[in-house]
Amino acid sequence: MTKLTLAISKGRLQADALGLLQRAGLRLSSDVLSTRRLAVEDESGCYRLIFVKPTDVPVYVEHGVADCGIVGRDVLLEWEPDLLQPLALDIGVCRIVVAAKSEAIWNQFGMLRVATKYPRIAAKHFGARGVAVDMIELSGSVELAPVLGLADCIVDLVETGSTLRENGLSIVEVITESSARLVVNRASYQLKADAIGQLIRSVDKASQRSANGD
Amino acid sequence: MPEPLSKIPAGMRYYCGPEARLRRAIEATVMSIFDGWSYEEITTPTIDYYSLFEHGMGPTQAHRAFRFSDGDGRLLAVRPDVTSLVARAAATLFAQRERPLRLCYVAPVFRQQPESHTDWRRESSQIGCELIGANSSVADIELLAIVCEVLQQLGLDRGCSITLTDIDVFNGIAEELKLDQDSRDEMRRLVDTRNTSDLKQFLAQYSGTKDSHALSRLTQISGKLEILNDARQSITNARSRAALDRIARLWSVIESLQLSDHFAIDLGDVSRLDYYTGLTFKIYVDGTGRRIGGGGRYDALTASFGKPEPAVGFVLELDALTDILLGRGESNSPAKSSAEPALITDTDLSGLFRAALDKRALGERIVIDSNEVAL
Repeated sequence: MTKLTLAISKGRLQADALGLLQRAGLRLSSDVLSTRRLAVEDESGCYRLIFVKPTDVPVYVEHGVADCGIVGRDVLLEWEPDLLQPLALDIGVCRIVVAAKSEAIWNQFGMLRVATKYPRIAAKHFGARGVAVDMIELSGSVELAPVLGLADCIVDLVETGSTLRENGLSIVEVITESSARLVVNRASYQLKADAIGQLIRSVDKASQRSANGD
Repeated sequence: MPEPLSKIPAGMRYYCGPEARLRRAIEATVMSIFDGWSYEEITTPTIDYYSLFEHGMGPTQAHRAFRFSDGDGRLLAVRPDVTSLVARAAATLFAQRERPLRLCYVAPVFRQQPESHTDWRRESSQIGCELIGANSSVADIELLAIVCEVLQQLGLDRGCSITLTDIDVFNGIAEELKLDQDSRDEMRRLVDTRNTSDLKQFLAQYSGTKDSHALSRLTQISGKLEILNDARQSITNARSRAALDRIARLWSVIESLQLSDHFAIDLGDVSRLDYYTGLTFKIYVDGTGRRIGGGGRYDALTASFGKPEPAVGFVLELDALTDILLGRGESNSPAKSSAEPALITDTDLSGLFRAALDKRALGERIVIDSNEVAL
């Protein structure tokens, strides 16, 4: 029996990812789901789940310590890990946007000050437009930056947009859509082909069922 | 504040003790297999013109090299790849030699920019061989048979997978869709990462073309012989079909040699260097998340150096092999520990070394004891 290790993003995606895996046939007891242990097994013993920070999911999977992972597309775009991503999932749906106090940011030539947790996505986006950027890397509460005058705009992940609104910001531009992805290590994909093929098929089915509202 | 002298640059390391012995033993094992198949060792320049690698590997990969200017302003690179150098030698130094040429090497390659986050080494040793001037499935199978022998002799043949594809399956479809270079690269990336959903979006602009569907199927097609039938159902263009036929022929030989357990066909496996033109393969073994080697056919490469001819080769990552075998314990490793050395001791300096030379003349392993010498 081939055992697979799955790295799951803690936080925003966690509950939805576990729900999806349960619908895909993983047997996760309520004990397991409520525990604070960072590594648990499903009841069949075929799957080990580890819970790590979203940006660490590609790290575990790329090194092959985990065979597969569930992580947002935003993380994959930012870190560009060398992974296979055979499934786009219908969970964690959101957008990566440019937001500012007003549209007026486009009137500025010369230099744009951008506060973000996604410096590479932002650099690529503004680079394609030929805009020079002063990149201000923050690790949280990015919305504060334009309000306090630290930056002209932000590049951030937006789900409903309420945090933006409450801080007097609005979306200037949508860079791309993001949702969760199932990612797979290149070597595992070949060496554990049967088990991983099985997982991809059952997660795909579960994901499509919920998309159809069944 | 100055950098401390103790600091080692990123991606560089030392080897010593059991690791160094194991590494040397792997090298010896593999090189003796190459010799057993009549491959002749070649050493190449460590530094060469950047333009050579740019032609050989393609600009994207060549960009990763350490580069600097020569006295005359020409751009040089510290060897990021050996195959380009061997191909040039074949077209120039060895132009008049009888074909096929069988050449092998073990050499460090240097890359300033890593290819991925797990690719931390900037100096890594490659062991490889090249079979130049033979255009047939005979040459392809010769190379695959050598790979199998290497894995077997290193004890890595259990839990290994050599994935085969023919880059022309992808090329045929790309040609059918009349893609420009940028779209072709983007599509290759999407197929390579099995990103079916983004690929479907990307292909929406080509809808109506029959083979656009085939392309998104490519990402899902991997397995053994049965997948070729699957592929034939969705792939219709002549170039891709010819490539599928080549894989089928190759597979039937692999099966008749009872090696099919070690192989899989993976038509979505389209990454790696630009110089590959037909069969390509990658080698995975249990114990690491990265491939440990790969190779393929590069029929267009030597033409850049003035003598077009078919060629096929492969390379193994010596450092990755060392890590895996070390992780599996030394008991079943190819490194044999040496005999205990004889302690040579004497109060007289000349006497000490007379004794030492006598033992060495007999080929014995010794260690000099300097403590007793009266100076």
